[in-house]
Amino acid sequence: MQGNTACAEGALAAGCRFFGGYPITPSTEVAEHMAAKLPRVGGVFIQMEDEIAGIASVIGASWTGARAMTATSGPGFSLMMENIGFAVMTETPCVLVNIQRGGPSTGQPTMSAQADMLQCRFGSHGDYSIIALSPASVQEMFELTVDAFNLADRFRVPVFLMADEIIGHMRERIEIPDSVPREERKILPKGTPPFRADEGMIPGFPQFGKGYGVHVTGLTHDERGYPCATSPSLHEDLVKRLVAKVESARHEIADYRVTNPEAEVVFITYGSPARTVEQVLHDHPDERIGHLRFRVVWPFPEKALDKFPDAKVFLVPEQNLGQIAREIERHTCIPVVPLPRFGGALHTPAELEKAVEAWR
Amino acid sequence: MTYSDWLRVDRLPHIYCAGCGNGTVINCTLNAVDRMGWKKEETVFVSGIGCSSRAPGYIVTDSLHTTHGRALAFATGIKMANPELHVVVFTGDGDLAAIGGNHFIHSCRRNIDLTVVCMNNQIYGMTGGQGSPTTPRGALSTTTPYGSQEPAFDLCELASAAGANFVSRWTSYHVKELTRSIHQGLGVPGFSFIEALVQCPTNYGRRNKFRQVMDQVEYFKTHGILVQKAHRLRDEGLPIPADAILLGDMVRRDRPAMGVKR
Amino acid sequence: MRLVIDERRCKGCNLCTLVCPYRIFSAGKQPNARGIVVPVLDRPERCANCRLQALYGRTLCGMCQMICPDQAISWVEEKPGEAQKVAIEF
Repeated sequence: MQGNTACAEGALAAGCRFFGGYPITPSTEVAEHMAAKLPRVGGVFIQMEDEIAGIASVIGASWTGARAMTATSGPGFSLMMENIGFAVMTETPCVLVNIQRGGPSTGQPTMSAQADMLQCRFGSHGDYSIIALSPASVQEMFELTVDAFNLADRFRVPVFLMADEIIGHMRERIEIPDSVPREERKILPKGTPPFRADEGMIPGFPQFGKGYGVHVTGLTHDERGYPCATSPSLHEDLVKRLVAKVESARHEIADYRVTNPEAEVVFITYGSPARTVEQVLHDHPDERIGHLRFRVVWPFPEKALDKFPDAKVFLVPEQNLGQIAREIERHTCIPVVPLPRFGGALHTPAELEKAVEAWR
Repeated sequence: MTYSDWLRVDRLPHIYCAGCGNGTVINCTLNAVDRMGWKKEETVFVSGIGCSSRAPGYIVTDSLHTTHGRALAFATGIKMANPELHVVVFTGDGDLAAIGGNHFIHSCRRNIDLTVVCMNNQIYGMTGGQGSPTTPRGALSTTTPYGSQEPAFDLCELASAAGANFVSRWTSYHVKELTRSIHQGLGVPGFSFIEALVQCPTNYGRRNKFRQVMDQVEYFKTHGILVQKAHRLRDEGLPIPADAILLGDMVRRDRPAMGVKR
Repeated sequence: MRLVIDERRCKGCNLCTLVCPYRIFSAGKQPNARGIVVPVLDRPERCANCRLQALYGRTLCGMCQMICPDQAISWVEEKPGEAQKVAIEF
């Protein structure tokens, strides 16, 4: 099965019943598969007039209680930014799949990249925090899509599946389980102000059509949902809560794989470069080479770095100029070496072996 | 029930300037919705950004105040995901015709079962009176200090051409007619578009020889002619005044629609 | 029924003075505590709604209420036993 199809299958298994999107290479197969399958399970597929409308319709559908998603790539992702901020501010659960391609601008539509990793974290205006997952195989396209829906509903944030073109268009054998875990949105007790958060910092979800009479606005709002855009303390409290509800749970959300924890030279990867590192370790099994692979990139799980107490250096192969390497640098005292490789070609095992030799 | 039962009274008075026509259009819309006999929990109001788009905040039902121009795209998501809900969209001329123009024509084309009430004040009111796509030629605004040089959009013609099932235009003076047309639009399956010309005394009237609120409303009253009368004049070869505002129901048809309650 | 202007909501735009067929509303002169010149009522008991709303069980003319952008105009029930002024026009 192809990565993009596996993503769509994961969404269907997770109970996604609304897809609003716009075709863009290399993510189109997600939309195509959803268009074929959603009507058969009572869901709605709608091809909107642009990506802005795509994410807008997804947010609208989410407020009716549906699990909703969209899929896109670089240029479409840029168009979505304003409404991603809206989803953050209004605490709307939704899933966005970004099959990354080479940029800036139209760039390389059919080639792979991981160049939107910081955009997904910081792209919309204002301070906020989101969750981003990064699959490294077709099986993970399925699994992490399911996880994305559960995290979105639990934390009431947009969750990004930041795959790359290689994973999206790769074909592998996958196992689809009979059922997948499902975490529902917390229900708002009737009579409670709709944006009053408990100690978990996540308010219950006042679904449209259930008589809550909730006013949802992208303006700074109080716990009743009423706009009040001129109170500094209200805005500060709201934005701090929106960030803290995700960041304070980052060790719970964290999902990573550790290989050879006693190693001195450690690769840190996410997405398709992980596969080259695995190839290196497969060709030359060596306990002195470690591998830390993130399945959740944002919120950044910095405690994962402590799993390698003997590490002398972190080597970070990425399909960009070192976006996550910079984030790793913030959390460690040892050298962090970005190994950028982009333009669509993947790192070769020989290149990575050479990088290891330099630090022996 | 009356229209006042739909108001979120704890938020009144609203933020609109004295004499703003938006409040009148809210009254008319709520009156029409009330007359439909819809339940509050089954009705959703959606809006974008602008003066007009603050309206859903004063209504007790579920409401979504979205990003600039995108109200129709959000409403499409709501209506398609749950066709049982009645979705009414409040929008303004800048919101609908400028930044949201693409969503507008595509919603008309899809003929999705929404009712859109456009409060056309011919200016960007909330940002302080900049020219909009419906600012008439020659009118003054902060970005057209020498008079607007651009021809204006006729939103009703646009909606008709793009395929809406119901299209109508009234002003904030014609409250009874506006209420009736919104009521009809709410009942029509498919896309209903009702344009309500409203006075903006603060930002439009003040700069365009309508010194008092009343002056612009009087202008609507004296310059509005029924679209049927305009057609009759045209058929008889008589001139239609250049500054006439065509009013009335322009289109009522039965094109295939999307998202209609099953 | 009694015609009232809610002074907490009225912003003094005087649109009601334009539409009332009985010319009950006229522009006020004295600003109220909020600094707003609320229209004054001239013999409001002449209003069709005041006289006949209860009888017909629905709002009759209602133009002033509809056009009022500030939702400030309404009709309230008199208290039981409250003295009523009746205007008879010939």
